[in-house]
Amino acid sequence: MRSGDSTDSDYSPRGEEASGGDRTRDDSPTPRERARQLGRALLLGAMLAAIAVPILVASGESVRFASEKVFAVGALVFGFSLLGWSGSVFAGRGMENFQRHIGGRSDWSEADSRRAMTVLGSVGVGGMLGASLATMVVGSVV
Amino acid sequence: MISKRFVIKRLLLLVPVLFGVATFVFAILHLAPGDPARVIAGQRASEEFVRQVRTELGLNDPIWVQYGRFLLEAVQLEFGNSYQIQKGTPVKQILRYKLPVTLEMALYGQFLGILFGIPVGLLGAIKQDAISDHVTRIGALAGISVPIYWSGPLLILLFAQVLGWFPASGRIASTFDINPITGVITFDTLVRGNFAAFESAAMHLFLPAAVIGIYSMALISRMMRSSMLEVIRQDYMRTARAKGQGSKITILKHGFRNALIPVVTVIGIQFGTLLGGAVLTETVFGIAGIGTLLVSAIQVGDYPVVQGTVLMFAGLFTLVNLLVDVTYSYLDPRIEQ
Amino acid sequence: MSTETQTEDVGQRGIVERLRASPFLSELLSNRLAVAGLTIIFAMVAIALYSRLFVDLGSVTQSQIGTNPNLAPPSWLSKKTAITGEYGTFAYPFGTDIQSRDIFSRVLYGTWLAMKYGTITVGASTLLGVGLGILAAYYGDITDNVIMRTMDVLLAFPSLLLALALVAIFGTGLWKVVIALTLVYTPRFARVVRGAALKVLEDEYIEATEALGAKDPRVIVRHILPNCLAPITVQSTLNFGLAIIDLAALSFLGFGAEAGTPSWGLMLSNGVKNGLLTGDWWWSFFPGLFLAITVLGFNLLGDGMRDALDPRMRETVD
Repeated sequence: MRSGDSTDSDYSPRGEEASGGDRTRDDSPTPRERARQLGRALLLGAMLAAIAVPILVASGESVRFASEKVFAVGALVFGFSLLGWSGSVFAGRGMENFQRHIGGRSDWSEADSRRAMTVLGSVGVGGMLGASLATMVVGSVV
Repeated sequence: MISKRFVIKRLLLLVPVLFGVATFVFAILHLAPGDPARVIAGQRASEEFVRQVRTELGLNDPIWVQYGRFLLEAVQLEFGNSYQIQKGTPVKQILRYKLPVTLEMALYGQFLGILFGIPVGLLGAIKQDAISDHVTRIGALAGISVPIYWSGPLLILLFAQVLGWFPASGRIASTFDINPITGVITFDTLVRGNFAAFESAAMHLFLPAAVIGIYSMALISRMMRSSMLEVIRQDYMRTARAKGQGSKITILKHGFRNALIPVVTVIGIQFGTLLGGAVLTETVFGIAGIGTLLVSAIQVGDYPVVQGTVLMFAGLFTLVNLLVDVTYSYLDPRIEQ
Repeated sequence: MSTETQTEDVGQRGIVERLRASPFLSELLSNRLAVAGLTIIFAMVAIALYSRLFVDLGSVTQSQIGTNPNLAPPSWLSKKTAITGEYGTFAYPFGTDIQSRDIFSRVLYGTWLAMKYGTITVGASTLLGVGLGILAAYYGDITDNVIMRTMDVLLAFPSLLLALALVAIFGTGLWKVVIALTLVYTPRFARVVRGAALKVLEDEYIEATEALGAKDPRVIVRHILPNCLAPITVQSTLNFGLAIIDLAALSFLGFGAEAGTPSWGLMLSNGVKNGLLTGDWWWSFFPGLFLAITVLGFNLLGDGMRDALDPRMRETVD
């Protein structure tokens, strides 16, 4: 079962002209590298949200409004990446074969797609967490 | 050939899909302008009453608490009650009777599209650059260029107004009173043995299904044509022909199955577009399915209904693509599961 | 045409010369369908400009009850027009609607609206797509992956449903619809641009320029953009038709143009809901006819352009 079981490590770039010379992700990152990547994404989301909440409050919105909107943006990103992740797993095999059929110049791959979605999802979760924390802090100050 | 494990794994994927859609919808609802409490209370309600409604809905809780509660309810497929469209009715119950309506129309339309699209595409590929090929190509292009909200009225004009062959709108003549079993009207009428009602329902369904069918036929025939041409160009076809195994028949026999693979994928992906198109088709033909439900729910801000409908769309789309996946393994045994 | 003199001056060749020197244009012009599409588009642009300049906006938006006959059929069809009593005149060639407005003028003005908002939508998503595509191609690695997979997921959503979701967030109105559709179309452009940009970046001469110390923006402007131009043009053309259809669809569903606006989608909506079953077919027929012809024009031209491009690009643009 290719799509379900394949882990990231068995991903090998389809050679040819796929996505352009040395720009291809030749070696898949080690678990530690991946964890670091996800951590960075989480932090990025949290920081963006933690900045956005006070800015909205400073611009005259209520804490409730700022909290709701920023959290919702995080949730939007998170929900989107969840959909993208499951969609990649679901349609992955079909899409890869489909592309092989129509000429294989596109470089879509299921493993890549899932990886991108986990990074994006981390940004989203980070945003939700950051918004929550920022709300508590800002709420206790204001 | 298709293992149970494979299907179960795919079905398990529905969990993150629905979780994702629920989160997505939660985000949309909280980003959307407008106050749900105000929607429920009505425009002229007092500020105090609105505040009371807000507390009842838990809208005063911190947003992360609301998110958690929302997810818990969504997991149980509990969408709450409609705010406005059918005030107080559980969304589940509304969907229960609206979903089959859309599904029936979409499936008949898709069926027509496949039934005509595949032969037309094949013909174009085999008789490439013949007049028939050009005609069908332009026809397909025109089919994509004409939006459903114009081709629908045109069909109504011709077949309902001028010729009077088919009814213009609705699902069944008002003289029939069919108690729904499944909600799929052509099925219910047959099961009840009411053939006159079945005929009426089928006649009502024809035009909407044809509109959807024309559109999907245009897409399918285009894909079928190019995919078949691709297969014909491939080496093993040439070899087969060189060996003198006929030509046209060889093409059909060996090529067809291979050429179907991308077409099946297109059918699966395009089902989403078809559901989107259902929103328009239902509006044109005055059919009360989940498409029109979604539009009016967005318009009046009936969030529980929006949420339920969108989850329904996502679930349907996923299931159809599961079917596509299964078909896929059947068509191309080389793809190991 | 002296291509000789132009090719001599390789370093200074502009976009126009590039196109002329390439077999692209000649192949395009030998494609009869593409030429037909081009003709249609020219005609529609002319109509749009004419109506913007000469059609009185008040007479197509405000009710004309009392001035014009109400729900009059196309005047050349009716035996007697209500006002003049003459036979077969062209006073109201497309008839009038329920507010007695002349449908002909409204449809003409609708051409202007469709072209205007279509251009804005396609233009904005082209800009966004070029930005994202070049960003992805230039930085590669995880930036590339996250941007492009996000675009793929966005592409997987049915465009109308995605647009509806965005409209639910932004609220209704023609401008909000334009924003929603811009976001919906951006992935298509990002994909095309990234593909073209990658191809350029692979080429050695970029590496040479980089070695000479050229800064990022210069490389992009001098080398990447001109090479993306052809696929972007094809994508824009194909997308223009879609934009017109979707803009009208959202107005048709009641999310776009506000009441009274002579937009094709809104006219169709009113005509279908109120006029079709009562026999007032012209109310919705003519706006739809113009819409379909315009979209067909863009699709014919786009298809022809795609065929005229070299086969490698044919796969990128889709």
